Amino acid sequence: MNQVLGDRRAILILLGPALLMYSAVMVIPVVWSFGYALFRGNLIEGFTFVGLANFGRLVQDEQVAAAVRFTLLYTLVISTGQIVLGYSLALLYTFVLRRSSSLIRTLVFFPVVLPSVAVGLLFSRLFAVAPNSGPVVSVLDRLGVAPFDFFAAAGTAFWVIILMDLWRSMGFYGVLLYSGLIDIPTEILEAARIDGARGWRLVRSVVLPLSLPVLVSSIIFSLNASLKVFDTIVALTNGGPGSETTPITLLMFQTSFFYSSFGYGSSMAILISVMCFMVTIFIFRSSRRDLTVGGAA
Amino acid sequence: MAGLPAKLVILLLLVIDVYPLFWLVSTSLKSTQEFLNTPFWSLPQSLDFQNYADAWTLGRIGTSLQNSLVVTIPSVVCILLLGAAAGFALEVMIWKGRNTVLLVILGGIMVPSQMILLPLFTIYFKIGLTNTLWPLILTYIGHGLPLTTFLMAAYFRSVPRELFESCTLDGAGVLRSFISVGLPLVRNGLLTVALLMFFSTYNDLLIALTFITSKDMSTVQVGLLNFQGEYGSVLYGPLFAGICMTVLGTLVVYLFLSRQIMQGLAGGALKG
Amino acid sequence: MAPTRIVTRLLHASVVVVILLAACGPSAPAPSTSTGPAPVASQAAASNGQYTGTDPQSFSLLLTTENTQVPAELQRLAAGPCAAENAALPLSVQQTPGAQIQQQIQLLASQNSLPVMFNPTQAFIVKDGALQKAGYILDIKKALTDLGVADQILPGAQAVIDQLYPGVSPTLPFQYNIEGIFYNKKIFAEHGISVPQSWDDLVAAATKLKAAGVQPFTAGGKSGWPVSRWIGAYLFRSLGGDAMAAVANKQAKLTDPGYVAAAQTIQDLGKAGLFPVGVASEDLPTAYNDLVTGKAAMEYQGTWLLANINDPAQNTVGLDQIGLLQVPVISGGKGDAGAWPTNVGSPHAINAKLYGPKVGAWLKCIVLHYADNLMTNQTAFSGFKASHPPVLAAPTPGTTPPPVPPLTVEVANDMASAKSSVLWFEALSPSAKFTSDAGANSLLLLNGSMTPLQYMTLLQNDIDNPQ
Repeated sequence: MNQVLGDRRAILILLGPALLMYSAVMVIPVVWSFGYALFRGNLIEGFTFVGLANFGRLVQDEQVAAAVRFTLLYTLVISTGQIVLGYSLALLYTFVLRRSSSLIRTLVFFPVVLPSVAVGLLFSRLFAVAPNSGPVVSVLDRLGVAPFDFFAAAGTAFWVIILMDLWRSMGFYGVLLYSGLIDIPTEILEAARIDGARGWRLVRSVVLPLSLPVLVSSIIFSLNASLKVFDTIVALTNGGPGSETTPITLLMFQTSFFYSSFGYGSSMAILISVMCFMVTIFIFRSSRRDLTVGGAA
Repeated sequence: MAGLPAKLVILLLLVIDVYPLFWLVSTSLKSTQEFLNTPFWSLPQSLDFQNYADAWTLGRIGTSLQNSLVVTIPSVVCILLLGAAAGFALEVMIWKGRNTVLLVILGGIMVPSQMILLPLFTIYFKIGLTNTLWPLILTYIGHGLPLTTFLMAAYFRSVPRELFESCTLDGAGVLRSFISVGLPLVRNGLLTVALLMFFSTYNDLLIALTFITSKDMSTVQVGLLNFQGEYGSVLYGPLFAGICMTVLGTLVVYLFLSRQIMQGLAGGALKG
Repeated sequence: MAPTRIVTRLLHASVVVVILLAACGPSAPAPSTSTGPAPVASQAAASNGQYTGTDPQSFSLLLTTENTQVPAELQRLAAGPCAAENAALPLSVQQTPGAQIQQQIQLLASQNSLPVMFNPTQAFIVKDGALQKAGYILDIKKALTDLGVADQILPGAQAVIDQLYPGVSPTLPFQYNIEGIFYNKKIFAEHGISVPQSWDDLVAAATKLKAAGVQPFTAGGKSGWPVSRWIGAYLFRSLGGDAMAAVANKQAKLTDPGYVAAAQTIQDLGKAGLFPVGVASEDLPTAYNDLVTGKAAMEYQGTWLLANINDPAQNTVGLDQIGLLQVPVISGGKGDAGAWPTNVGSPHAINAKLYGPKVGAWLKCIVLHYADNLMTNQTAFSGFKASHPPVLAAPTPGTTPPPVPPLTVEVANDMASAKSSVLWFEALSPSAKFTSDAGANSLLLLNGSMTPLQYMTLLQNDIDNPQ
């Protein structure tokens, strides 16, 4: 039996194609990228070996620093928002709506599947002030706030991005965290209620600790995804005004393809990978526990 | 406990989630002149579908949708086949070094697309694939494999090993048992992963932007980004119609499969 | 070691080898000094005299999607005066969005697959530009001289090309435009404003209009350059026509007081609320629309705007109600009072490696006939000589065309009599990054998010540290 399950030929047939594609499309290019980072140039002019000069430039470059700052700020704000809103929604689904939560869950979730460019364009029209005032500006105008351009200043543009991304993703985190909450045995909740715990105290002392695993997973997932933000920002502001809302992923794309610096762009890609790597190590640690112990809840 | 505050919250959620769509659809039925000159909350004067026609032809939404499907469906099918097979081999089969391979594949989940763009750019050109959709398909397959393999391995793990062991005793080869026993058992997992891969491929922007070189090959996301009228102008009427069409497309798929999506997430491997 | 492990490793290794083999080639990173494919000289020696390359199968064009004028006109030529040349070498047009075309051009160049004519970014075709060094750019002035038609390019246009690209003449001037401030005569008359003679007059007029509730200036800020052009406009009046050339030649820095003062002046305009609230999000067609429908009084633009101004469907103000005024002088400023900022449209380069006799014949035909029907078909001016004065299109075929509007006549005269031309702000941009930064950040300058010194420092940095 073990011989059958250890059949070399079968393993090759099953695993081979996937491994081939994976190596060709992922492994080789990653190694190659490290190579690119040691050179300067582009496809037309050819490349010159510059050793670690690109990395030296990376740490001194003010625009890179600004992009990294922006990415970190964005990640912090959006992850907090996603988890807080997601958890609140999950609480709403579990304790308030209970059986009838399915409809609301479906409704709040749908922005998750929409193409990000479509959502970006929609929000740019919602908050538009040219060629005519969109809904938000019109409503604010009624409330006495003079029309202004949300996308002309870094601060307001940032908050529109946050609003848009929260709109897009809160349903996802709501469902994700909800799945953790419904696993909490009702007996424990009943017991706690009998002991007098209600409302917020119930959440804080019983629900929160028991849903910790899924909460931690969600936080790590959220952080990892937010660090790589690209689509939504390109669609909404394209990094503007100026480069005030440019995350490091967009800066890398522009450097490589618009400013034709493959070497420098590759070094930025490595920077992005390092940032993601640190977060993803946690994912691996927590999931490896499952692999060896065997079987999650 | 569904008192007034809860009802208000639900109402707020409804407004936040539904109104933008409603506004989108209603504005898309207005002509550009009407859009520019009437207040945002007014309903369209008539149900004029000219915007949709313009978006389909001038704005090339039709071509974009076609390209997106041509790229997404084969990619997802391949990802599922290869990923399920790999997941089976890694989880059910017993051989030395499978943990190492699993580790290597897990590493792939964390690699951001940026790392692979530039070299792939060069490789595809050398092989002569640039004016086709192949770079997209190949990249999506390679890029989607790590996560798919990982998830399928997790789904296979939840299947009791006895089922596989017993069928091999019956004399069936491993490959046969994979196809006739293994795959049906993880049917639900396959569907969930298929949905996940479908949406992430369909909605991808970074890879599409890198490898799409002509306006006739744009996928939906790139097509929307470059949505322009004849003289580089922004035609607002068709723009709204274009956004609507792409949104409604995914919405329809979602509504049919929402239960599956939810279940997949709820029972998913992320619970920790 | 277990057999499977060996197999797996072999698999990996063979994959690596295959891919590396496929990938080996001139564009793989090589530890050598930077070289590209062989320069033009060695190729010219092998081919026939003036022709630096060999003819391709078709007269292939790779242009931006936004570039509608050139393909349309060339197709008309192919069906008309250039039918013979087209029969020998058929026209074939491919278009890509401007945001992605440079990517594609790079790829094609690295594989020696560039088409005959394409829209490269300026940085690629200047003397030290990547495409120049790789030998892809035909010296058009020389080619036309050899063909005997060098005088078909208007002296003014050639002067601009020489200023932009000294010594290499890499672009065809399909467009020829002067830039200034278009203004609404009716609004001026209604508010008793006379044509500003100095910059102070201009600002005073704008302020007066704003107080009266009229939008003084408009600009398509979404594209960036419509705002940064204002900085260039002030600069060439305050520091003279060589202001930007001095920076490009490292004789001056953008962070010098004179340049920062220009940025400050434009910021003052923004802070005084003279631009629309939504200027940063306003796209170009909307800005054009603002002017020709009377929503705004003035707009700094180039004479390509004539197409919108002369179109009765768009222009609700009146064909003769829009005027063009030269950027007013600044008291104490330098430079030639009669100079106009001039440009010759986006770069259109010819592939030197595909320049054979058939391409040469096409080229000759284009420069001889392009200008003739451009005014009729597109209401635009090109840098080529026309064989007759401008004529507008007839409303229906066969009827007499309407008289040429006074503004168009005026512009034609201004162009013909312009004694000197001045380059615009990003004209001598050293890189795509500079152009992009100059435009995008001008909006931040305008609304006060960025100080003039910060703006100029950013740009000077782009000049000092090119990518």
